[in-house]
Amino acid sequence: MSATLRKPAATSWRMSRDRFLDSRAIWPLLIGAAALYLLLFVGYPVVYNVVMSAQKVTLANLRFFNRPFVGLDNYRTLLDDPLFGLVLRNTLAFVAANVALQFLFGFGLALYFQLSFPASSFLRGLVLTGWMLPPLVIGAIWKWLLASDNGALNYLLQSLGLVSGKIYWLSDPSLSLIGVTIANIWFGVPFNMILLSAGLAGIPDDIYEAASLDGAGRVRRFLHLTLPLLRPTVYALLALSTIYTMRAFDLIYTMTHGGPLDSSNIFPLWSYRLSFELFNFGGGAAISTTMLVVVMAVAFFYVRSVRAERPQ
Amino acid sequence: MSGQVAALARPAVAERSVSSRLRLRDIRPWLLCLGGVLIASVYLFPVYWMVVSALKGANELNASVPTLYPHAPTLTAFRWIFERENVGRYLENSAIISTSVTVLTLVLAIGCAYALARVRSFWMDALVVAIMASQVLPPPLLVTPMFVIFRQLGLVNTQLAVILATTTKTLPFAIIMLRTTFAQIPIELEEAARVDGCPRLGAFFRVTLPLARTGTIVVGALTFLFAYGEFVYPLSLVNRRDLQPGPVGLYSFVGADYSDWGNALAFATVFVAPVIVIFMLFQRRIVSGLTAGALK
Repeated sequence: MSATLRKPAATSWRMSRDRFLDSRAIWPLLIGAAALYLLLFVGYPVVYNVVMSAQKVTLANLRFFNRPFVGLDNYRTLLDDPLFGLVLRNTLAFVAANVALQFLFGFGLALYFQLSFPASSFLRGLVLTGWMLPPLVIGAIWKWLLASDNGALNYLLQSLGLVSGKIYWLSDPSLSLIGVTIANIWFGVPFNMILLSAGLAGIPDDIYEAASLDGAGRVRRFLHLTLPLLRPTVYALLALSTIYTMRAFDLIYTMTHGGPLDSSNIFPLWSYRLSFELFNFGGGAAISTTMLVVVMAVAFFYVRSVRAERPQ
Repeated sequence: MSGQVAALARPAVAERSVSSRLRLRDIRPWLLCLGGVLIASVYLFPVYWMVVSALKGANELNASVPTLYPHAPTLTAFRWIFERENVGRYLENSAIISTSVTVLTLVLAIGCAYALARVRSFWMDALVVAIMASQVLPPPLLVTPMFVIFRQLGLVNTQLAVILATTTKTLPFAIIMLRTTFAQIPIELEEAARVDGCPRLGAFFRVTLPLARTGTIVVGALTFLFAYGEFVYPLSLVNRRDLQPGPVGLYSFVGADYSDWGNALAFATVFVAPVIVIFMLFQRRIVSGLTAGALK
């Protein structure tokens, strides 16, 4: 008796559950969790960073919210800092050299592995290994390769007769930025290669066939077909690799710590050192707020290129 | 006479050039393959150098003329780092943190990515753009506010802080990639299941998710790898050595003026081994996933 009574109740509960799971109401719920998470742990820190950059933040008032506002003082202090010019020059040189050279090497490799030969995609995959390695491991390896005593690169250059003495790659202020740039280029090349390979693979073969029937040579096909068709990929890639150059923080922190004499210091590292070594959290926040604005501008460019590329 | 010779010689020359061109065409792919092997070897030399340096004894490592391979291979450095430096603890912490980040990321990302793949509207597009933008925020620029916030929450010096912070880096990436994966599964399959009385969400779990299994596993693997390599967040949110993961442990070997390269590279080798294994297992899929994730 009771069993026959309970059964319809259970069925109707199941039906309403199924109706709920089938309704449009589930979409906001599915999105909500992740969106809330990102709002809380990305959106809030970004906003909080802007607020902190206008406050006097010390170790003493770190746990409170009502800190004294100082307007743009943190920014002004940084502009007056004698380090500012040096770090700006370092950052611009580092980003420009990395983005340009990673792209050139990556493009060269992508074109090479695009040729048809046995094991081409396997070998390309092997090269990608470099990009999967933890940055700290790459920093360790390159610090050892570039070591002035017993470093493999110095030995190679000496035995080829290219240099006579030791090169102090990481401890000579005029060379340290070049040292970390070499390591970071090695790190970034595979990513450039793989995105450009994908772009090249997306160009249909019959376009090339038609062009060569029309008498276009290899060089002309490259300049007038490959490059224009690849343009959206190239834009997206240049934007992404500009942003990813910020990740070089890990490499520089491991290899030189920004030194010697700040010769390899760049903005993300300076921001970190202001906050966590000098406990000038306001100054650190001012730099990262400025950098975030730059990153968002580049990201806007990236998103636009990617959406332009999508066929729809 | 000379004209005759020329007439006789010409076909022979032509023949030879045809046959040599034919031969060149035959061996061209193999020459290119050789070139490819050469490129890959030069590129991967630093990784090779890490492993062989870790296997050398102290004398061989610091010899003025380096040896290309260890003439007297030894595991001394490996034994030392586990017995004296207790690096097992770093690896354990890395495993705990990266696994937690992967689970949290997938739990949050799967539902969100599915909704973004199936619902088309202006707001969904705007959300995708916002997520893509948050994908590119570099940890070194977010770590200052992150530290202050976690300090106010009393979470500094816990692995939970590291897990929550690292997930901000992996979650946007996972959502973007899974969205592409789910969008590739034909919606008709779900609709067929719904006609048979299965609710929409049930159809997703019973039909779409199993079909997108491989893609989801790859996203999980990449999430794990990214979390495994994260350095800035554990470095600044935790200052207790017994809670630190591998990258911070490795930093204690190579940062500053620590100069025992044998030990440092032995730990680097041990720490990176799982990365290389995971990458080799999923190589092909990771390659296609990375390109799709960045460009779609």
